Amino acid sequence: MRIACPFCGERENGEFTYLGDASPKRPNFAVDGGESPERVEDAFHDYVYLRDNLAGVMREYWYHGGGCRSWLVAERNTVTHEFVSVTAAPGAGAALAARAGE
Amino acid sequence: MADFSWNTQSALEKALVPGRHGVAGTQAGVTLEEVRDISLVQVMARRGRAAETAKAAKKLFGIEPPRAPGAAVARNATLIWSGPDQFIVFSARQADGQFAKVSKAFAGIASLSDQSDGRCLIRIGGPRARQALAKFCSLDLDDKAFPLGAAATTSIDHTAMNIWREADGTDGHAVFNMLVFTSFADSLWHMILDSSLEYGVQASSAHAA
Ligand SMILES: [Zn+2]
Repeated sequence: MRIACPFCGERENGEFTYLGDASPKRPNFAVDGGESPERVEDAFHDYVYLRDNLAGVMREYWYHGGGCRSWLVAERNTVTHEFVSVTAAPGAGAALAARAGE
Repeated sequence: MADFSWNTQSALEKALVPGRHGVAGTQAGVTLEEVRDISLVQVMARRGRAAETAKAAKKLFGIEPPRAPGAAVARNATLIWSGPDQFIVFSARQADGQFAKVSKAFAGIASLSDQSDGRCLIRIGGPRARQALAKFCSLDLDDKAFPLGAAATTSIDHTAMNIWREADGTDGHAVFNMLVFTSFADSLWHMILDSSLEYGVQASSAHAA
């Protein structure tokens, strides 16, 4: 299997590490915003532990540790292993700022 | 008084035995050369400062650092792409050390680290270099895919490597510069030598020019 790093080009998959689903967003509650502890706990429980088990195209984090050491977001078909797209994750390189919750 | 003092020596002090190895013949198929006395400065642009970093490099070296994988040769240094918005400044080590001068030029806009003793530079050339490389490097190093000035960050033997092509050798064959971690250099040298033995190897060391 080959993965096309947006910075390095096509490389063997051994150079990459899989992290997992890139969709969950870190809950962003204001300090002392009046949220009930149960709601905050539920949101973090979802964020940390609960994942969908998709059969189809999924957004995933991959790390090109054996190459440019950048975090990437890949759209991969979990049924066929086909990579639909691979783009830089927010914060990769110096150009883009990381968005809150990514 | 201390019982001993630290000596500066090559990571390949023991591993590199100059001369012919492997299959004998009139011409060695592979030449392996360790380039000693190198200076390496890793430059990483700080967030939002990539354009200023490129400008500062242009001012200091007369050329812009590569924006995509590649090696740009300036008069006194080679700028090698090592990741998005980062590059390595490679040059021959000078007595006064280049780090202070380089870090002054990028003050406040990029983060620098001196890698001169952290990496070992091995040059591989000769008519069979690509066959030897194919045993441990998964990149396509054909002239069409990896021409003069090409560079890549990749892995060999589960270890990081920066590889780039500068000028061809005097024998007309491609020369590949391989930058590896000093701590792995001994082991990698043996692996590279073993991969090259069947083609006949000429091993040597040289000072960076
Ligand atoms: Zn990459």
